[in-house]
Amino acid sequence: MARLLRVIHREQCIGCYSCMYACSRHWFQAITVEKAALRVKNYHGVEGAFSIRPCYGCIDPDCARSCPTGALTTRKGGGIKFDSELCAHCGLCVQACAPKALQWDAFTEMPIPCHQCGICVQFCPNDVIAMVDVPEGGETSA
Amino acid sequence: MFRKGARRVPDFFLLDIDLTNQQYEKRNITELFSRWLGGTAVCSVLLEECGMDLEPYDPQAPIIFGIGPFSSVFPVATKTVALFRSPLTNDLGESHAGGRLAMSMYGAGYHMIRFRGVFPSLSYIVIDEDEVHFKRANSLKGMSALATERVLREREDSQFKRSIVRIGPAGERRSPIACATVDASRHFGRLGLGGVMGSKNLKAIVVSGGRYWTINDRKAMNAYYKKLYDTVVHSSTMKKYHNLGTAMNIIPMSAINGLPTRNFSQGFFESAQQISGETFARSYLSQQIACAHCQTGCIHMATLRETYHLEDNMVKTIKVSYDHELIYAWGSNLSIQSPEAVLRLLLFVEKQGWDAISMGVTVAWAVEAFQQGYITQEDTDGLILNFGDAQAYIQILERVQRGHNRFFRSLEQGAAYCASQYGGQDLCMTFGKNEAPGYMTGLFAFAGYASGVRHSHLDAAGYSIDQTILQQPMELQQANRCMYDEACWRMVLNSLGICLFARNVYAPSIISEGLSLLGFEAFDEARLISLGRSIHALKYRMKRKWGFDLTKVKLPGKLTKVMTSAGKLSEEEYRQVLDQFDKWVTEDIQRLGVQS
Repeated sequence: MARLLRVIHREQCIGCYSCMYACSRHWFQAITVEKAALRVKNYHGVEGAFSIRPCYGCIDPDCARSCPTGALTTRKGGGIKFDSELCAHCGLCVQACAPKALQWDAFTEMPIPCHQCGICVQFCPNDVIAMVDVPEGGETSA
Repeated sequence: MFRKGARRVPDFFLLDIDLTNQQYEKRNITELFSRWLGGTAVCSVLLEECGMDLEPYDPQAPIIFGIGPFSSVFPVATKTVALFRSPLTNDLGESHAGGRLAMSMYGAGYHMIRFRGVFPSLSYIVIDEDEVHFKRANSLKGMSALATERVLREREDSQFKRSIVRIGPAGERRSPIACATVDASRHFGRLGLGGVMGSKNLKAIVVSGGRYWTINDRKAMNAYYKKLYDTVVHSSTMKKYHNLGTAMNIIPMSAINGLPTRNFSQGFFESAQQISGETFARSYLSQQIACAHCQTGCIHMATLRETYHLEDNMVKTIKVSYDHELIYAWGSNLSIQSPEAVLRLLLFVEKQGWDAISMGVTVAWAVEAFQQGYITQEDTDGLILNFGDAQAYIQILERVQRGHNRFFRSLEQGAAYCASQYGGQDLCMTFGKNEAPGYMTGLFAFAGYASGVRHSHLDAAGYSIDQTILQQPMELQQANRCMYDEACWRMVLNSLGICLFARNVYAPSIISEGLSLLGFEAFDEARLISLGRSIHALKYRMKRKWGFDLTKVKLPGKLTKVMTSAGKLSEEEYRQVLDQFDKWVTEDIQRLGVQS
């Protein structure tokens, strides 16, 4: 059993980006949404339709498999660990993530790994996301 | 950006854009922010330095967008201020909008963006940090405000979050009541920014960037932020706004004769229940959405499902936002009791890109002017204007859209212009030529519309003072001073970037603490209050240079004959209040002169 970030009520998202601000503040001491390890996407002309892309904590992450240098490795319980010293800045990891959940830092040109810490959950006003106990190999998303 | 170590004010930049020569310059204006905080105050300074002799549609007339030091940093600091010379009132044009614009300007690295000059043909501009692209866009001519966003969001891709400000066809026609629409359903609504953008052939502005400040005192920042977050999310302070939204005012306002009905003939609307916030929430609300970095989510989106081609059971769904002002302007004030009709009218207005209040109030004037004989069927080309006739209103808007004849072209010039052409000034619900917002609670609502620097109900919330007086009588002078002080205090909030819905979250001591965290030291309550008065005086100084005279702002004749929440109004008291307000303004302008 691992405790992983999950979208539990996508339809309750109001698009405030509070989760992304929280993640950036906590891990980078940065006031921005662009350093967050998850993304709230909105669609042109469709007011109110949001899609939340958190790291799904894959057991066998495609991003880690695509990494040619071993900078991204599998985290116990699901997800990834990142060693920035080994990063070749190639971006293959981001391309490998089908839902585009793994975010890219445009300044460092490195991926932004999710630590499954749940800080984003603490700052979601509408219970859109939650830390959920997930059995190994369980469902990736609600 | 903050550096490790001692706190100091971060750097603030102006992007100064010349549309005629398609050139731009980045200027460090940290000194202005250190003194004036930012937002509406710094916009005012930058506007005044452009000179006061330019007409609203002069090619060199400036448009300035500004945010404050709290923008994108703290919760509900979501507002971008736009300053320009208003084509509607011919004096100060100021309008505020939410959406993602404040976040995107911050990300692009600019707290101020100023436009001057004019594009040779219809174009849009893309601002992406240090890169500015000028793009011809004749294919967008006549495109609705909604479609323009769809097209540009797809065409101007970015790795960063973007904001898109654009005008609809009304702005292209230089209507002085045209708005500029921001992202999903937010607007620089009032005083004609859309017309000014249209005069510059500036169809849209796309802003994006990934720049940011870093935090140097993590512990203090986290504690402060959490305190704000808890107030916004877990206290009752903001509950009204994400619950029913401002539309919750419809029933209580009508109950106290404060909801303008049939062109301000009365404050009681017999069908208030049918168009109430409760009714909309029950039957049409599809979702609340939020501006970037606001956990409240006050934007109420309604969904209207309609059939067409009945024999084939074809269905279409429209989504449009609503709030108190929109329901007043296209509901009670036109005697429309069907929420569905209100939503259809709002969608039309949204696509064309008019300010919903101004166009609604102008149509209400037209209906009453028709009924009283100022306008004839010859003017309307056969159309009969009645209150409550939603179908006729759609026809009016269609005719305005295509410039059917002189009368319909006049309508998008605003109510004051129409009354000057056709008569019926007493029926014209404007203050300083700006169409009135949706409260007729008494003297201070109207005095607030007249004296507000942007002639908005949000300038000083006079309607709130009226309601307080109903509960607890107050001397006229004392109530007036409350309104004056509130008007000045809101200058501080508007300079920091704070949405006025969060005015009770950001008490003076909270603001001082936040400013200190950002390196703005010694902004205690007394200094903030003093600064608010200076900013207010600065704006009034500009308004006066442009010919505005508060002592001459008329109370529409009809309003002395109708019952408000406070009963019938005395024009003498109205004059008394404005004269005193004007004296306080003069004192503060003199004080400002000494300081400068």
